[in-house]
Amino acid sequence: MESSKYDNSEYAVELEHVSKIYKLQKKDGESKKKGSESFYALRDISLKIKRGDVVGILGTNGSGKSTLSLVLSGISDIDEGTMDVNGEQALISINTGLNNQLTGLENINVKGALLGFNKKKIQQMTEGVIEFAELGDFLYQPVKKYSSGMKSRLGFSISLALDPDIFIIDEALSVGDKGFAKKCLDRMMKLRNEKDKTILFISHSLPQVKEFCRTGLWIEGGKLMEMGPIDEVCDHYSDYVEKLNAMPGKEKKKMLDEKFKERLIVNEKKSFWTRLFG
Amino acid sequence: MFTSVKYVLTENFQNLYRIYCIAKYELLADMRDSKFGIFWNFASPAIQVLTYWLIFGIAWKRKPVGDIEYLPWLVVGYAAWWFIQPCIQSGCNAVFSKTSVITKMKFPVSVLPATICAKEFFNHLCMLIIAFVTLLICGHGPNLYWMGLIYYAFCAFAFTEAVSLILSVLTMLWRDVRKLITSLMRMLMYFSPVIWECHFSADVPYHNILNFIMKLNPVYYIVNGYRDSVFYHTGFWEHPALTAYFWVVVICLFTAGCMLMYKFKRKFIDLI
Repeated sequence: MESSKYDNSEYAVELEHVSKIYKLQKKDGESKKKGSESFYALRDISLKIKRGDVVGILGTNGSGKSTLSLVLSGISDIDEGTMDVNGEQALISINTGLNNQLTGLENINVKGALLGFNKKKIQQMTEGVIEFAELGDFLYQPVKKYSSGMKSRLGFSISLALDPDIFIIDEALSVGDKGFAKKCLDRMMKLRNEKDKTILFISHSLPQVKEFCRTGLWIEGGKLMEMGPIDEVCDHYSDYVEKLNAMPGKEKKKMLDEKFKERLIVNEKKSFWTRLFG
Repeated sequence: MFTSVKYVLTENFQNLYRIYCIAKYELLADMRDSKFGIFWNFASPAIQVLTYWLIFGIAWKRKPVGDIEYLPWLVVGYAAWWFIQPCIQSGCNAVFSKTSVITKMKFPVSVLPATICAKEFFNHLCMLIIAFVTLLICGHGPNLYWMGLIYYAFCAFAFTEAVSLILSVLTMLWRDVRKLITSLMRMLMYFSPVIWECHFSADVPYHNILNFIMKLNPVYYIVNGYRDSVFYHTGFWEHPALTAYFWVVVICLFTAGCMLMYKFKRKFIDLI
């Protein structure tokens, strides 16, 4: 899974039969010898994303959207299958890396350094960040005094200084007030239209996704349900959600339970030492 | 094996500015936390040394060590310890405490132990200033042999970096490691020549073997090295066997740490 080599492949991301497995904790009282249970967070996903495409990822809670974003951004390793990423990918994370004790201005340095910028780059971007975040005099206040919206604004503005080939945005635009969300969306639009970046966009806001993305990707229960033009996928997804909501409570629970069971796997017990050296 | 060592080394050297920045702003955040800020970086080691001096030096009327008074002897040893101990202890938590960062962005995890060491190195410098002042008051003027401190500080840095590489990964696999280490550190202090010479006199049974075992502790080399440079005017080249042993241990530890780090670099997120 080398992401550094940049060939001229048509696709930015190629996944083939990718699975991601999480270990589950034992319920109380279960015997230790039984072996641990695991859970398919993603199961047998194959997809190709074209370079310069804007993909909206849809799915209900717990369907594996965030896991997919972690896998695609190279933070988390896959357990099965192959993954090819052409170009550098970055997950836009808003509130991470901000230190509550330090002022906004210092935090630009902190988060900038965490993201791996050098000194020159941080100096260059500082002005842009200040302008975009619109914090006013709060820039010189410690971040613990910020409102949550202000914090996200600062965090998002710093993240914008990243310039990867593939952007992965997980619920990022749902922060701040409407005005700021609009501003962020405009900025992403600009990236999409002018710089021709590949953008993967995870959001629960269907109108936002419809407006912004070209391709839709719907995952449910860790499996890929559909990938295609955004409007079609959005329609199918919203039909599904409505159907789910219309179900009586018991039936819904049964269905969800079944889905959960499908994703379960029981495997043998591995000791600490086999984990270390195996 | 070599790929893992190369991987960790390149990642660390490519990210020197990142390491520096993280260490600097973490220190700054610590200082902002309290009203007196940097004062505590000096006060807490000073109070520690004072405690040991009052108990062992005054109350138990310790004789001077060789021809060196107990207080200056203690201060120099404790200065070395004041770097090693917090480094190893917070080194355990190096990766775990940055959970929020490593789960949310692509981050070179292997630099985290180095950030801890860099941060503690600043505290070490504060402590060294205290030690120098004490030495001057006690009448030990500086001389050229004091330059040896730079070498031994580097030794300490290499040793703690290697140990925290290992421990930070083990803590991720097994959270109990940190608690175990916290308890063991106290033991290690008494088995290192920090507050006593770690030398059994001839009337102790098996004293030869015991003294030899004491020397196997890498911390022994560092702490005594600090004292050699300051009081005894001996350079590290005068203990070739111990020097070689120390570096072999450090290189082994570092390699083991690199291998662990390399193996688990992408698994950390699943271990939380």
